Amino acid sequence: MSNLSELHLDALAEIFSIGAGRAALSLSEIVGDEVHISVPSVQVINVEDINATTLSLNSGRFGAVSQYFSGPFNAEAVLLFTEEQALKIVSDMMGSQMSLEELAEFEHEAMCELGNIILNACLSAMADILHFTLESSLPNYRVASADEILHRLKENSNQPYVMVLHIDLAIEKRHTTGNLVFLLSSTSLTNLVIHINQFLGSIS
Amino acid sequence: MPVDSSIKKLLIVDDSKVSRMLIRTHILVQRPDWVIFEAVCGEDAIELADNERPDYCTMDINMPGISGTDAAERILSKYPLMKMVIFSANIQETHKNRARSFGSILVAKPVTEKSIALTLDYFTNSK
Repeated sequence: MSNLSELHLDALAEIFSIGAGRAALSLSEIVGDEVHISVPSVQVINVEDINATTLSLNSGRFGAVSQYFSGPFNAEAVLLFTEEQALKIVSDMMGSQMSLEELAEFEHEAMCELGNIILNACLSAMADILHFTLESSLPNYRVASADEILHRLKENSNQPYVMVLHIDLAIEKRHTTGNLVFLLSSTSLTNLVIHINQFLGSIS
Repeated sequence: MPVDSSIKKLLIVDDSKVSRMLIRTHILVQRPDWVIFEAVCGEDAIELADNERPDYCTMDINMPGISGTDAAERILSKYPLMKMVIFSANIQETHKNRARSFGSILVAKPVTEKSIALTLDYFTNSK
């Protein structure tokens, strides 16, 4: 059970929507075309309740970019795309007629860059709006199965909460969906709620 | 009793309650006598524009139903004297150009004193 009300979730959705807008601007400059990126929903759930359905993980392998953020709250952020979608995004980012083999060479670097843009855009929007500073580690990219990802998300008992954002991303009319998952400790979630309350208190 | 035409009406269109609260609060600090209406989607905004004939409108882009830019274009085609600001986090050139094409401007979120000042300046000083 998390302590987030509907208004808290609305505030988070708005914050991440601003982050997604910043990410879309950066990505559109990279690919030289319009990028549609939106955050339709934010959920905060107990890590025990997370499963393949919650994260829209079907069968197959997934590309996961992870990054650690620290500040008034600490979180591990993980951006998930299917491996096939990850390669399409890399193809759009590289903007050339590369073969799949050639693209695979750039996959690691391009996905780290994509993760860096999206994760930092979302977290920096949160830091700016809620008035705090977050430091980030370098992004890490790996390809894994749904089971491996779920096992990895659940293995750290110090982080019992997950905040899940479902992200729609379309580059050059090619539609892709991904999920952004934040792993949070109880203390971090409490600190986040305190900052959202301060923000909401200033406008109500 | 005649309606006081100096009292201005503003329509805030945004699917986020927090965003609407922020815009309303900031605007009322600067313009406490303005009458404010709120809509949560483009369709409701079009209906409110017909019913209330606001002088000004702030419009989000990404909302359920029709996009804010489509709603803005429809409203301005009917009420060309209305001042419309597209207030959005989606700040790509495409959207800036689209806003310009139907006589509006795009102001970047987040909603802050600075972005509200830009909005009010456009509402009250642009021709």
